[in-house]
Amino acid sequence: MRRLWTLYLRELLEAVRSYRLVWVPVVFIILGIMQPLVAYYMPDILAASSNAPAALLENYELPGAATVMAQALGQYGTIGMLVLALAGMNSLAGERLSGTFELLMAKPLSPVSIVAAKWAAHLTVLLLAVGLGTAGAAYYTALLMGQLPWSAVAAASSLYALWLLCAVSLTLFFSAWLRGPAAAGLALLLAAGMSLAHSLLPSQTGWLPAALPGLSAAVLADGTAEAGPVICALLLILACIAGASLLTGRHKLPD
Amino acid sequence: MPLLEVADLRKTYGGRPSVDGISFSIEAGRCVALLGPNGAGKTTTLRMLAGLLPLTSGAVSFAGGSPGGDYRRHLGYLPQAPAFYNWMSGLEYLMFSAKLSGMRTREASAASAAVLERVGLKEAARRRIGGYSGGMKQRLGLAQALVHRPRLLLLDEPVSALDPIGRREVMELLREIREETTVIFSTHVLHDAEEICDEVILMNQGRIAEQGTLARLRTEYSLPVIRLAVAGEQRAVRWLEELSHSALVNGAEISDGKALLNVSDVELARRMILQSAAELDIPLLHFEAGSSTLEELFMKVVGA
Amino acid sequence: MNDINWGLIGPLLALQVLLAVIGLISLTKAEQVRGPRWMWVLFLIFGNLLGSIAYFTLGRRDL
Repeated sequence: MRRLWTLYLRELLEAVRSYRLVWVPVVFIILGIMQPLVAYYMPDILAASSNAPAALLENYELPGAATVMAQALGQYGTIGMLVLALAGMNSLAGERLSGTFELLMAKPLSPVSIVAAKWAAHLTVLLLAVGLGTAGAAYYTALLMGQLPWSAVAAASSLYALWLLCAVSLTLFFSAWLRGPAAAGLALLLAAGMSLAHSLLPSQTGWLPAALPGLSAAVLADGTAEAGPVICALLLILACIAGASLLTGRHKLPD
Repeated sequence: MPLLEVADLRKTYGGRPSVDGISFSIEAGRCVALLGPNGAGKTTTLRMLAGLLPLTSGAVSFAGGSPGGDYRRHLGYLPQAPAFYNWMSGLEYLMFSAKLSGMRTREASAASAAVLERVGLKEAARRRIGGYSGGMKQRLGLAQALVHRPRLLLLDEPVSALDPIGRREVMELLREIREETTVIFSTHVLHDAEEICDEVILMNQGRIAEQGTLARLRTEYSLPVIRLAVAGEQRAVRWLEELSHSALVNGAEISDGKALLNVSDVELARRMILQSAAELDIPLLHFEAGSSTLEELFMKVVGA
Repeated sequence: MNDINWGLIGPLLALQVLLAVIGLISLTKAEQVRGPRWMWVLFLIFGNLLGSIAYFTLGRRDL
């Protein structure tokens, strides 16, 4: 346990020194507050672009608070996920390829603790980013559109964070045996595939983790939720950590 | 009871053996050189001993423990080209390393400071590792292998990538370290092995060609030889040629006025050669009678 | 709604500038950069959010 903590602190130090612990949350805050602002200033933006049809201007209606909040979280599902996958793609692959693993693996450590420490550090960055980002988004939404129940915002952003954590865990898993960019690409492709499957066959795939964004929006709109995708996501994350540990134990040396 | 016992260790890559059934044991406190040409299987052997590579077959037991037991906490390991986190300082890395080996913060901090001073990195302790020279990185590598006071130190080619000054620094450190703990280090340079070790394991093509104490190997492989060198005059060189056909000489290598003669009786041959040289007024530059050096044993065993 | 409310837009702009500044600091410290440094300077100053993201994820070799 003490070793796990030592490993985790090193990961955090790396996140600080590489500015990852700062720039990722800043990006998430920008994405979060941009959405309500864009919705609020949409008429001005449309007016500024001279070729916007007048009808569009007249019929513009300020969207509701729940819609805007869901759209803000939707930004995390695209750009946010891309950022997290790219920022985390080298955490195992980089160490394996640069050879820093060779010294680490000669210490009395299990591969699980190395993977778990990295995963926990990614989780820390993710929680900080989604926490601050949704706080910003909720603040602006409340200011411009109207109040949302605090608990609904918290529940919705937690569900979205879980979906993002699936992508991060997949990236970690793939980076245990692939090069960083390939790992990020494959993880994003898999997440996109799950989303596509869910949008095509919503009734059959309601248990997929890809149902979490929809679930998150539903919590904001009417407060309903279900447990299936949450359990499935947790299982996926556990499988990623276990798989990454297994592969890390086998690929200790630079290929 | 030996500290490390290795029995019939094997590693195959895709059917081709890299380490082909080697057995040896190492007593506590010894310094053993794993000597052999490149590709002999030294690095693979050390990596298996460090638990980085699974064994294809065989058994390794540490301090009488059961084979396959995890003894990594008693191990210090320095790979051939140690890679560090360049954004960390030397001190940060050592603290990290010491804590991973099981030390508590206070203990780790004292041990790190002490070992950094010892390897001569005290001044550079708070600088980024990314800015270290090759020699400094090697010394930091040695420091991380030593910081938790391991019972067994595995060093893979610790000096071969260094310039002469870096090499000298690391060799001096090794000479001290071997007094405190058991050391196995690999090298392809016989001279390095002779300089600090008392035992060698000579490897070639995945097998142990010869092993034992340097003293034993020296006597066992001693050959009656005479080396001599003369000033490069025509008649002196001719004299060497004539010597090589003498009845006492079994074989000879002559080049550039230097000769290595295998003789049947060193005493007789010495008297004969020196007498002849004095009579003919040969300008002798060098004369040495005695056994062959380990260099020749090395070449002979390796079959080069 | 026609007047720009700096109280609303200000924090957004400040964060964008913060991101670019962190990027520039990191760029001066980075030892190895993919591609020319001036290109990343342009990305960070004029590339808005995506330019900064591109620098942080793809620009640096170490870390």
